[in-house]
Amino acid sequence: MIRTKILTSADIIVICAALVLLPWLYSHFWGDGSQGETARIQVADQTPMIIPLQHSQRYTFDGPLGSSIIEVQDGRIRFVESPCRNQLCVHSGWLQNDAEFAACLPNLISITIAGRNPRFDSINF
Amino acid sequence: MTQPPPLRLHSTPDDRRIAALAALAIAIHVLETALPSPLPGVKPGLANVITLVVLLQYGWRDAVWVSLLRVFAGSLLIGSFLTPTFALSLAGACASLAVLGLAWRLNPLIPGQGLGAVGFSILAALAHMGGQLIIARLLIIPHDGLFHLLPVLMTAAVLFGIVSGIISQSILIHIRQE
Amino acid sequence: MRGPTLLVTLLITALINGCGSSDINSEPFQQSQLLALGTLVDVSLWDVDTAQANQAIHDIDTQLHDLHHNWHSWLPGRLHDINAALAKGQAIEINDVELKLLQQAQQLAESSQHLFNPAIGQLIDLWGFHSDTPEGPPPASAAIQKLLLLQPRMSNLSFDDHTLSSNNTAVQLDMGAFAKGYAVDQAIELLKQRGINNAIVNAGGDLRAIGQRGERPWRIGIRHPKQPGIIAALETQGDESVFTSGNYERFFEYNGQRYHHIIDPRSGHPGSEALAVTVIHNNAAIADAAATALLIAGPKNWHNIAQQMGIHEAMLIDNELTAHLTRAMAQRIQLQHNINTVIEEPS
Repeated sequence: MIRTKILTSADIIVICAALVLLPWLYSHFWGDGSQGETARIQVADQTPMIIPLQHSQRYTFDGPLGSSIIEVQDGRIRFVESPCRNQLCVHSGWLQNDAEFAACLPNLISITIAGRNPRFDSINF
Repeated sequence: MTQPPPLRLHSTPDDRRIAALAALAIAIHVLETALPSPLPGVKPGLANVITLVVLLQYGWRDAVWVSLLRVFAGSLLIGSFLTPTFALSLAGACASLAVLGLAWRLNPLIPGQGLGAVGFSILAALAHMGGQLIIARLLIIPHDGLFHLLPVLMTAAVLFGIVSGIISQSILIHIRQE
Repeated sequence: MRGPTLLVTLLITALINGCGSSDINSEPFQQSQLLALGTLVDVSLWDVDTAQANQAIHDIDTQLHDLHHNWHSWLPGRLHDINAALAKGQAIEINDVELKLLQQAQQLAESSQHLFNPAIGQLIDLWGFHSDTPEGPPPASAAIQKLLLLQPRMSNLSFDDHTLSSNNTAVQLDMGAFAKGYAVDQAIELLKQRGINNAIVNAGGDLRAIGQRGERPWRIGIRHPKQPGIIAALETQGDESVFTSGNYERFFEYNGQRYHHIIDPRSGHPGSEALAVTVIHNNAAIADAAATALLIAGPKNWHNIAQQMGIHEAMLIDNELTAHLTRAMAQRIQLQHNINTVIEEPS
């Protein structure tokens, strides 16, 4: 079997597949900046906690009304449970993009998402 | 007191061939570490060429031997045996050999001529980089931020893969014409 | 790529990333959190010496606590005493600060055609909003009508030098729609007096921003009334307040119906014509009062009221999630989603 070609047609398919894979890797791992990377959790007047969104985990924070449970999963975060009456925080659902925001004001806990390049200095609500 | 009889190791022609190729691969490996690199991580990866040529000329089993001998003996010679560097090398080699094995098995099923050295080389290079990144994540930098490098490193892997593949294929064509 | 070269690459990358983030002490952006006015207060400062910043933050904290205590809508404090006197038909001496604040409130009430009406404390109390945890049920129509007939208004107040009196014993002052703005103004004044000219004071979402963030303006995101994301973005210029009133801020639910705390003084019921109003104005107290009045006014009448109150930049989100913008606001703001927009023409 003597071949004189450098590239076979199967080789070219592999090259094309690689050329499709690479841009996908860039957009997945580098993102477009709007994907949330960290969440800033403010509890009362304590120094805010910066939590990376890559690690799935549950957190419990205590405010004046009691414990609020916050969950991080697959790059998203949300209030799972909170002792407030109106449950606005829980109804906000999953947060995942830069500048998304939810707060349990009665329990003095707020979550703000920051992407790689946060778009805003302050949120008005 | 009589001396014990001298030990005779019988070597087959296969063994000799593998040893010769491994020696060549080891030599290249060692020489490469002496080369100055323009950027960190930009090394020609020439020893991979040997692995690919062995794979395509003599089969996967021989390629495994040559590759692993190169990793072990090479690291002993350089003095990096059992260091994290060695772990990276070994992980890369194992991952790429595994992928090459799979591709080698599946290759006859591909219509036409199947994969050439370039195709194998790209797959091997991607697997090699993947294996190294996994070990790096587990042993060296235990932080997911490492994967931030993935796109760049994989781009490099694809480029090396193409270059090594072309060199390997040229060598193979040359060998087979003789 | 060989093992050693991968290692070197990783180490160099790690070093570069490490150098990228600045040393905390030399970072010109500082953000501090305070618990005041019953909510989360965020103070952002740019390029201020740490010691000076800490002192200013501490003093703002004290200032906010005093305000909160003095002007609290129902707990014992100065406002409580004033209300007690007015209910008995008695005059009461007030100080400079109180005089100024009440006169400003009176002017704003006039210009808003009394949609902003801090004299309806009894009505607010009737709805249960003089409590940290308002609950149902909603008050009986009869009780509401009774209070409405008494027509308590800011115009019932007169100021004779520093003596405050009212010709209507139904007047009970509730500064809830105004106090936050006033407090933010005071905090900003304190910062300016200390020579701090680039800052944001954000009290529970309502903010005033002065100066800019280094080389670029402060960037503010306005939260969507119903979703966690941003509905509009803007950059502040110079010294500006951004205040939003919404029907989602304080409320209780009863029998599946939601009742919020922004009571329309005309009907005695919570305003129901709009989801949220955002106002931009230099003065935070004016922005606060206007946001309340315009929410009550609703999409038909809000533009007139805005003009009368001297508000040029405002946005109202109606119950169908259509954004009504003044022309000036439309030029300032960047709406983020596919939002229906209506631009109000000056009449």
